Amino acid sequence: MIEIKNLKKVYNGVIVVNVPDIHIKKGESVGLVGNNGAGKTTLFRVMLDLIRPEAGQVLSNGEDVAGHENWKNYTASYLDEGFLIDYLTPEEYFYFIGGLHQQSRATVDDFLAGLTDFFNGEILKKGKYIRDLSKGNQCKVGVASCLLQNPGLLMLDEPFANIDPSTQFRLKSILKDLNKNKGVTTLISSHDLNHITDVCDRILLMEKGVIIKDIATSSSTLNELEQYFGVGQIASAKTITEE
Amino acid sequence: MTATFVRHELKAFWRSKNTGKSIAVRVVMGLLILYLLLIVCAIGFNLDKLLLKGGGKTDIVVTYCGIILLYYLSDLFTRLQLQDLPTLRVQPYLQLPVKRNSLVRYLAFTALLSVFNLWPFLLFVPFVLKIVMTDSGGWVALAFTVSIAGLTVFNNYLALYLKRKANINGWVFLIAAAAIILIGLSDFLWHFISIRKFSYLFFGSLIKYPLLAVIPVLLGAVMYYLNFLYLKDNLYLEELGSRKDTKYKSSTEYPFLSRFGSVGDLAANELKLIFRNKRPRSALIMGLFFMFYGLMFYPNPQMNGEGYKVFVSMFMTGIFIINYGQFMYAWQASHFDGLLVSKVKFGEFLRAKYLLFTMVSTVFLLLATPYVYFGWKTLVIEVIMYLWNIGVNTTMVLFFANRNYKRMDLSKGAAFNWEGMSGNQWILSFPLLIAPFIIYVPFAILHQANTGLGILGLVGLVCTFTRGFWIKKLEADFHTKRYTIAEGFRNK
Repeated sequence: MIEIKNLKKVYNGVIVVNVPDIHIKKGESVGLVGNNGAGKTTLFRVMLDLIRPEAGQVLSNGEDVAGHENWKNYTASYLDEGFLIDYLTPEEYFYFIGGLHQQSRATVDDFLAGLTDFFNGEILKKGKYIRDLSKGNQCKVGVASCLLQNPGLLMLDEPFANIDPSTQFRLKSILKDLNKNKGVTTLISSHDLNHITDVCDRILLMEKGVIIKDIATSSSTLNELEQYFGVGQIASAKTITEE
Repeated sequence: MTATFVRHELKAFWRSKNTGKSIAVRVVMGLLILYLLLIVCAIGFNLDKLLLKGGGKTDIVVTYCGIILLYYLSDLFTRLQLQDLPTLRVQPYLQLPVKRNSLVRYLAFTALLSVFNLWPFLLFVPFVLKIVMTDSGGWVALAFTVSIAGLTVFNNYLALYLKRKANINGWVFLIAAAAIILIGLSDFLWHFISIRKFSYLFFGSLIKYPLLAVIPVLLGAVMYYLNFLYLKDNLYLEELGSRKDTKYKSSTEYPFLSRFGSVGDLAANELKLIFRNKRPRSALIMGLFFMFYGLMFYPNPQMNGEGYKVFVSMFMTGIFIINYGQFMYAWQASHFDGLLVSKVKFGEFLRAKYLLFTMVSTVFLLLATPYVYFGWKTLVIEVIMYLWNIGVNTTMVLFFANRNYKRMDLSKGAAFNWEGMSGNQWILSFPLLIAPFIIYVPFAILHQANTGLGILGLVGLVCTFTRGFWIKKLEADFHTKRYTIAEGFRNK
């Protein structure tokens, strides 16, 4: 489904993303982990044609995302609040997005009715603009608008970061259901290692723009990741004491 | 502390995405100001001779005293339209151990650094030194100078106060401008007050009692203090955030637009953007102010020529395109990424802009029809300029929009950090203002004004009907700039 070839993004002479070759097959659930500044969001942005890479390309269904727009028909994504039209009410926003995909209002209403649990009564009919919602609730709106588009490929950047624990669990089961039962390819980044190993079948570990590990999730994966991130901390602590 | 603020602001200026453009604007502005200053200097140093010529048999000191307040009235009017508001992103300093008063004082004092405050001195002080000093002595001359300083400070802060208020509520600007115009009209048209007599009443007495100079100084001080308090209050307002408004926000629909499909949806979204955010709403309301332009120009026989009508009509029917369009796409900066990854085709996005411009301009044209009172030709010119606006100016504005990389935050409090109507902004719209005259003036000089008007209308019409072509061009142009625009809009 997704093919990344020789991708390079440079900022001020520093390579922030350097991905020689990655394939993501249809129906895979991929988790992206890495410390701050590892290049996760930049990679997402390049994949969504928001940033022009210095070299290489991202193919979606065999077609370069840059300069083409077909991928928009089956790709839904939410990276940050910059994806939401914040002066609309959530309902207006959902109708707008639904309208782009030729869905009638009734269809959108039906769909939203299925998300009642996920919204937890905090989104619909509250008489607020999106900008007046908390960050967590904005995230719910963003994720819901992705689901509304019936995507073939779903990309979320740190969806667990701002939402409450109950919503985190609901989101996890939604994501699993999408992937396992509806065959949606998912690509999710997160700092929460428990969640990401739970939801994803394949983990990509990024460090300084490079994907240094590509693991199929197993019972030992969480341990392996914890060791990587933990070891980093111990090493840096050592250098501090040495100085 | 002030030095730190200045340093931070300089950094903000140099590190901004738009630095190149800002510098170009400043250079043009600087040259323009220099030119105007030279003119004002020349007038100032020869004021006595000019007054002798223009004033007839009245004593030049009487005439001089009469025009001072008149000047300040027009000065206030010009300031309202052109003066820049000093800005500083205050939020990052609020929780730091920086005294609130020093923040506010910085904002209030930097406001004095405006060329507008230089003009009255250049215009009036040479006369004081040449005539008043020799006639009435040093103390009176000092009193005059101090009064002029006081009035300048007063005007400076009054204009800023009104602008800050107008920023939050566009009607304030409309009312203030209307009040100034009414005062002017009731002197020059209806003759039931005389600003000149009133001005002489004060400055004439100043010759006898120089101590009266205290009054303008007090006025200036009070206005400064008012500004200071207003800024300080708003420091808290901003801190409290935008969650103050608890009214239930309901969803709205524009059934009229739904027939245009997804283009209509986009235009409806943009209408909501305008009505639900303070700044674009103010831009729209201030547009209404330009409906008065006809009233200011047409009753005056000297400004009733067709060239003026072309100018005024362009403003009246196109002000929204000029005023709102020049910040385009930055109004949508906060969700530009979302637009880029959504299924919106950029061609449709542009079509929605055209639709919006056409709708609003049509409304403004309808509002301007009563000017037919000044002759049917006035209406014809209005229609021609309307065609020009929706045909040519819309495309030009969108062309410039492809080159605007500066983020604008609509959700933040507007009282501090904003760009609105100011001299710098008008410079950017210069090409829009000159373009019709490049066509019209040569014909007018050759006494073929009607042909010129005809061609203006024709060009407008042709461009309107070839929109599809222009949209393709703009789209191709956009695709070379999209990454820069998106990156600029991501820079907070």
